Amino acid sequence: MWVVLSLLIIVPVMCFLILAVSPRLFSQGPQWLTFTYIRQALEGYTLKGILNSLWVASLVAVLSVVCATALAWLVQRTNIGARRFWTVTMWLLLLMPTWIMAQGWTDLLQPYGAAHALGLNLSWLYGEFFGPFGIVLVLTSTALPFAFFIIAAGLQGLGPEFEDAARIHGAGRVQTMKTVLPIVAPALLGALAISFAETISDFGVADTLGYHAHFPLATYTLVSAISNFPANFPVAAVIAAVLILATVPPIALQSVAMRKNKAYAVLSGRTRAPRRRQLSTGSRIAATAGVGFVVFVALGVPIIGAVVGSFVQNLGDAGATNVHFTLTYYKQILHPSLVDNGLGSPLLLSNQLGLIVATATGVLAVILARRMAASRGGWSQRITDIFLLGSIAIPGVVLGVGYIFFYDQGFITNHVVDIYKTLPLLMLGLIASAVPGQTRFMAGPVSQIQSSLSEAARVHGAGRWRSWRTTNLPLMSRVLVWGWLLTFAKTISELAISEILYPPSQEPASVTIQSYLTNFQIGTGTAMTVLTMLEMFGVIVVALGIYRLVTPAGWRRVGWSVVD
Amino acid sequence: MATFTRPEPASVSVEALCKEFQGKAALADVHLAIEPGTFVVLLGPSGSGKTTMLRCVAGIERPTSGTIEINRECVSGPKTFHPPERRGVAMVFQDYALWPHLSVRKNIAFPLANSQRSKVERRERVAGLLERVGITHLADRYPNELSGGEQQRVALARALAADVGLILFDEPLSNLDADRREQLRIEIATLTREAGATAIYITHDQSEAFALADKVGVLNRGSLVQFDTPENVYRRPRNCFVTRFTGVSGEFNVATVHARDSEYVEVSLPFAPNQRVRARTNNCFDPAKELKLFVRATGVTLSAPSRGDGMGGEVLDVAFNGRGYEHVVTLGDGATLTKIFSTRRYERESNVKVSFESSECFVMDAREEEV
Repeated sequence: MWVVLSLLIIVPVMCFLILAVSPRLFSQGPQWLTFTYIRQALEGYTLKGILNSLWVASLVAVLSVVCATALAWLVQRTNIGARRFWTVTMWLLLLMPTWIMAQGWTDLLQPYGAAHALGLNLSWLYGEFFGPFGIVLVLTSTALPFAFFIIAAGLQGLGPEFEDAARIHGAGRVQTMKTVLPIVAPALLGALAISFAETISDFGVADTLGYHAHFPLATYTLVSAISNFPANFPVAAVIAAVLILATVPPIALQSVAMRKNKAYAVLSGRTRAPRRRQLSTGSRIAATAGVGFVVFVALGVPIIGAVVGSFVQNLGDAGATNVHFTLTYYKQILHPSLVDNGLGSPLLLSNQLGLIVATATGVLAVILARRMAASRGGWSQRITDIFLLGSIAIPGVVLGVGYIFFYDQGFITNHVVDIYKTLPLLMLGLIASAVPGQTRFMAGPVSQIQSSLSEAARVHGAGRWRSWRTTNLPLMSRVLVWGWLLTFAKTISELAISEILYPPSQEPASVTIQSYLTNFQIGTGTAMTVLTMLEMFGVIVVALGIYRLVTPAGWRRVGWSVVD
Repeated sequence: MATFTRPEPASVSVEALCKEFQGKAALADVHLAIEPGTFVVLLGPSGSGKTTMLRCVAGIERPTSGTIEINRECVSGPKTFHPPERRGVAMVFQDYALWPHLSVRKNIAFPLANSQRSKVERRERVAGLLERVGITHLADRYPNELSGGEQQRVALARALAADVGLILFDEPLSNLDADRREQLRIEIATLTREAGATAIYITHDQSEAFALADKVGVLNRGSLVQFDTPENVYRRPRNCFVTRFTGVSGEFNVATVHARDSEYVEVSLPFAPNQRVRARTNNCFDPAKELKLFVRATGVTLSAPSRGDGMGGEVLDVAFNGRGYEHVVTLGDGATLTKIFSTRRYERESNVKVSFESSECFVMDAREEEV
C-alpha cells in the first residue's frame, strides 16, 4: 500500500519540489544548491500571483465560513422551509467545478451575453466582476459547501442539553453562548482551514476568470512557468512549495480541531436530536428567502448564465448587431463535422476516466479508511493521517506538474515505467489527487462501524469475505456510492491535472471546452459545458436510481446519509 | 416442524493461555478445563481479563501463547489458529452486535446460511426460535425499532440458531435494567440448557454468576484465581480477592489468634479484645502473617442489646427493602458491617448485639492477594 502511495504521490511531488533548490539533480540547471529560483519566484509577476492567492484565499475562507455558519444554523437548528432541499443544493454546489461557475457568470455578464439576451442591463456589474470581486464571489460560492458540511456536522453534535445545563445553572444568553461556542469552535476552525486550502489550490478560476481579468493567481503562474518556452521547472517548484507551505498550517489546524471535535462527539454520543428553534411565520419566510437568495447567487446564477448563454446567438460577440436565441451551438456539437472537433469523443473519454478513476479511488480509499479505523490511535493511523492530510495540502496543479516532470525522467522511462504523455499517466494523476480527499471522506463513516458486527458474523460461521460483504458493505454502501459519484463528477469536470497531463489527441471534455472558450468560440464552449453538466448529473441520477433498485431496503436504512 | 439434531455439547480445554496487549498482560498462564454441557461463568472485575479470555476462545483475539482446544481439537496453539468461523461456536455480544440493515428474522437466520438444511427447514427453525424467545411479532422489524430487552432476545435466538456445541456470552445483561435482567437471565439459563450446549458466560455480577453457573471461574488481573462450583466459591473462597468479590459485609484486622484446627480458627479483633470470633480458614493460613477477618452479610445476626451473646454495636443506618430491613452497624474504632438483614427494624443510633455464624466468616492472609 505504501509503495503504491509513494509512487502515486510522495516521490513525484518530492522530486519536483527538490528542483527549487537543486536543479542539477534532475538536469534542469547547472547548480547543485541554489536560491536563485527562490529569489526569481518571489519577485514581479509570480510574487504578485502568490500574494493575490494568499489574500484571496484568506478572504474567501472568512466569507464562506460566515455564510456557511448562518446557513448551517438555519438548516440544522430552525424550522426554516425546504430544509432538505438546501442541503441537496449544497451537494450540487460541491459537484460544480470552479471553472464552470466562472464560465456561467461570464456568460451572463459579458456584453451581448445571457443577461443582455434576457433584456437585463447588468453592464455596471461587468467591470467589477472581471477582477478581485468576481474571483472572490465565485471562489466563496465554491468553498461554501465544504464549510457548510463541516459546520453542519458540528452543530448536529451540539445537543440541547449543553445549552439547557448552562441556562439551568444561571447563565444568561451571552454566558450560555460563551459556554457552548467552544464546542462548535473546532468545526468553525476546520471549515476555515478547508475553505482556505480549497481556494488557494484552485486552478479553475485562476485559469479562466483570473487570466481574463489580468489578476494572476499562484496556480496560474505555476502552470505558466512550465508552459512558457523555455519551461522553468525550478521556479514552478518554488511556487508549488509556497502553495503547499501555505496550506499545511491551516490543514494541520483542521486536523487538531477535528480531533477535538471527535472528543466532543464521544462526550455527546447520547445527545438527543437538536431542538429546532420555531421561527415565527414572518421570520420563517424571511429566513427561507435569505437562504434562497444565497443559493440562487451561488448556484442558480452561474447555471442560468451558462444555460441561457448556450442558446444566445453570437454570445459575447461585441460586433454582433443581432442578439437572439438559437440552437446553433447544440446543432454544431451534435454534428461534429460542423466544428473542428466535437464533444462526443472527449466526453466519452472523460466518462471512461471518471469510471476508472472513481472505482480505483473507491477501492484504495476503502482500504486506507479501514486501516485507519482498525489501528485507532496507533502509529499506523497517525502516519496515514498525516500523509493524507499532507496530500490534501498538495494542489492538483502541483501534482500534475510533478507528474510530467517525474515521469519524464530518463531513469523512470528507461528503468521503471514509460507512461509519459499517455492516458495511464493522466489516470494515475487523477487517482492520486482524489485518493486523500476520498479517504478522509470515508474515514468517519467507516470508523463508526462497530467491530463487533463483523466479529459476530465470523463467530456465526461467515468467512472473511462473506463477513465483509454481509455486514460492512451494507453499512458503507451509501457512503461508497456517494464517494464514487463525487469522484466521478469531479473527474469528468477536472481541469488542472487534465490540462497538464492529457496525451496528444486524447483530450478530456474539460480541456476541449477550455480550448473552445479560449479560441473565442464561446457559444459552442458554453453549450458543451451545459451538455457535460447534464450528462454528469444524468449519470448521478441513474446511478442513484440503480442503487435504489438493486439494494435491499435494509441497506438504505442505515449508515451515513446525504441529508442527515 | 423440521427436526434439528441437538448438537453434541463441546468440551473446552485451555492450557497456559497468555495474551498481551502492547506489552501489558491481559491474561497470564490461564488453565481451564470445561466438561461438555457445563454452564461456566467467568466472574471478575473490569480489566480482569474475562472478555479477553472469551474472545480468545471465540477466535476473535489471537493468544500470545498457550493452547485452546474445543472438543479435543486444537483451535489455537503455537502453530495453529482457527478463525472464528471454523470453531463451531456462537456468541451473544455485550452490545448485541445485531446487523442494523437486516430484519430480526434475517439476523436470526444468518448462522443457518452455511448449513445443509433446506430453505423450508431454515424458515421453520427461525420461526421456532422466534416463538421460543417470544418475539414472533417482531420478526420483520429492524434492530433500531426494538427495545434493549428485545434486541437481547434476538441476539440470544441468533446464537441458538447456530446449533453449535459451545455458546459464549459476553456480559449479555449488562445494558439492561434490573427487571429485564432477571427475566432474561432465567431465559438464558433455560434455553441454553435446553439446547444442550456448553456455555461460557462472563459477568462482573456475582449474584448473576451464582444464579447461572454450574461452575464459576473467578479472574483477577489476568489470572484464574478459583474455578469451582458456586457453593464452594462462596463457602470456601480461595483468597481475600475471591472473598471480597463474592460479597462481604465487613472486613477487620485480626489482633490475636487463639486456637485453630484443620478448618476453623478463633481470633479476637482490636476493638473487642475480649470477644472471640470463630471463622473458617484456608490451607494457606499462617498465624505469623498479617491476617484479616471477612464476614458475609448472611453470617451476621442482630439482636437487642439485652439479649444473647455477641459484640456490642450501634446502628448507623437502616433501609427497608421489602422483605425486611438492611442495617449498617458500627462495632467501634471505625469498623462497620453493612447489608445486615433482619426482619425487625433497629432504629438509627440504637445499640444492638452482633453475633457471627462461623461458617460464613473467614480468616485469611491479607497479603495473599498481592502474592
